[in-house]
Amino acid sequence: MKESDFEAKNTQDWRQYDMVMENLERGNHDAVDTPKVPGMVRKLCSDLSLARHRMYGSRTCENLNYRVTRGHKLVAKADGGFRDKVVKFFMADFPQAMRKEWKLLVVCWLVFLVPFFVMWMSYSYDQEWADSMLGDGAKGDLDASYGKGDDSNLSMRDEFGANFMMFGHYIHNNIGIDLLIFAGGALAGIGSLFFLAVNGLSMGASLAYVLNEGSPEKLLSFVSGHVSYELLGMVVAGMAGMRIGLAMIKPGQMSRAKALLESGKSGLPLIIGACCLTFLAAIIEGFWSAQNVSPDIKYKVGYAGWFLLALYFIFVGRGKKYAA
Amino acid sequence: MAVKKNIEVIDTLQSVELGEGVEIMLRIAGPFPRALALLLDMLIIGGVMLIFTIIMVILEITSGNPYVAEGIRLIVAFFVSWGYFVYFECGRRGATVGKRALGLRVVDRSGNNASRGQIFVRNILRLVDMMPGIPGMAAGVFIGSFGLGFMCCILTKKFQRIGDLVANTVVVYTHPDYVVTGQQPNVEHPVAPTAALAREEQVAIADFYNRAGLWSEARRIELADHASELTREKGMRGMVKLLGMAKWIKERGK
Repeated sequence: MKESDFEAKNTQDWRQYDMVMENLERGNHDAVDTPKVPGMVRKLCSDLSLARHRMYGSRTCENLNYRVTRGHKLVAKADGGFRDKVVKFFMADFPQAMRKEWKLLVVCWLVFLVPFFVMWMSYSYDQEWADSMLGDGAKGDLDASYGKGDDSNLSMRDEFGANFMMFGHYIHNNIGIDLLIFAGGALAGIGSLFFLAVNGLSMGASLAYVLNEGSPEKLLSFVSGHVSYELLGMVVAGMAGMRIGLAMIKPGQMSRAKALLESGKSGLPLIIGACCLTFLAAIIEGFWSAQNVSPDIKYKVGYAGWFLLALYFIFVGRGKKYAA
Repeated sequence: MAVKKNIEVIDTLQSVELGEGVEIMLRIAGPFPRALALLLDMLIIGGVMLIFTIIMVILEITSGNPYVAEGIRLIVAFFVSWGYFVYFECGRRGATVGKRALGLRVVDRSGNNASRGQIFVRNILRLVDMMPGIPGMAAGVFIGSFGLGFMCCILTKKFQRIGDLVANTVVVYTHPDYVVTGQQPNVEHPVAPTAALAREEQVAIADFYNRAGLWSEARRIELADHASELTREKGMRGMVKLLGMAKWIKERGK
């Protein structure tokens, strides 16, 4: 069959196909006889094969290739409802991923906690380590918030909108740090480990400084409410980053490229979960932690946070219903 | 046009075989158009953030209570700097404003639309691809040289940066590229080839016909001379005969 005859014979079909695609891409499903679409795409596939086999000109082939690519995207789309996905994520995917990666969880906690305690303990032997970690600026900030005197700049939080501003600051800063820790994993894991360890050092130094030079109750009652979610969020971001890093260093049986994209899949629930945890921490830190409530209640809320997290990650998403 | 089975085609076309048994060709975009798209996006983000910041700062100063405006400014800065790419690439067109302007989009390596998760991952890892640079969020734009991403792009066959490798995505042109074919040669008579031809040889001759419009007559003759063993002619006559064979191959009854 001549190319021109082939075109003449099929132009009608192709034009109709283009119109259907146009409507589908615009989300205009009513104008389309949906059950017929897969058949139309298959017809185009066979047209493309024929055109290639008969060695028709590149313009015809390119056009058909474009049409098939366009239809394939719509037909092969596997899109469940967004709400179902969100529910499944919190009820199954996230806690399951955490249990599956428990070794990484331990490793990342250690990478954070060891520098934290070393820096804290070092203060009673040699203050210079903590001093150089903090610098004068950070020490001034700590004095302003948790210093020995009666006034603390935490009381500025009683003003209208101040809590909201701090909430914005925590979103901007803390979730940004989570994402940074995750991305750092793509440098063979070094970035993730570095940021975890540096955070451990600076938090250890801050804690040691306030315990020795400030009034500890101000700090502890402030952080107790949100510290569980915030630290765990950071550690989980580190786990997600380490997934990618390990795929680069130790791909195992897979090729490195394959290991990388698998690590993207297994890291995804972790980094999304990390962002959610940090978001939760930001809400609490913004609207609860600076409230004028007695420290006892604040500590209890803090313990409850750790307890709830443990319950969630140990028990949620088990059983047949959520089997992967 | 057709895929040659045993020949490694040096091309930006990547073939993907579909469940329907047909191969589609994805035209992968290289680093240069992608850099231009990125530059455009950065200018847009920077411009939007600059105007937004100015408005919020004025509000903070004039309203007497700076807290609410500052809180909104920080949250918006976060979502614009991290979310601009994710939001637009998750959309129906799979492309940011810059990518759309250059006719590009992000797809899964199978040619499908990329999932939200893939888009999210590839855009967080943008931070690594832009190294060495400043991962600060000044004015809401991440500023970086994209040296690592560029190196990774040119070292991988499908021009993927690190984020693309982890998320299993590629950036492709949305529309087909029509080779300018010029005036197709006018061939009067189909000529039956003098020997049985393998499929690859038939493809080569058909390609010669399809592209002949691009070349001057002297160039056509020069190329046709390589097939003089088949046509048993040289020069102009050989060229005409070869075109006749191409016509015969393309039109033989079916």
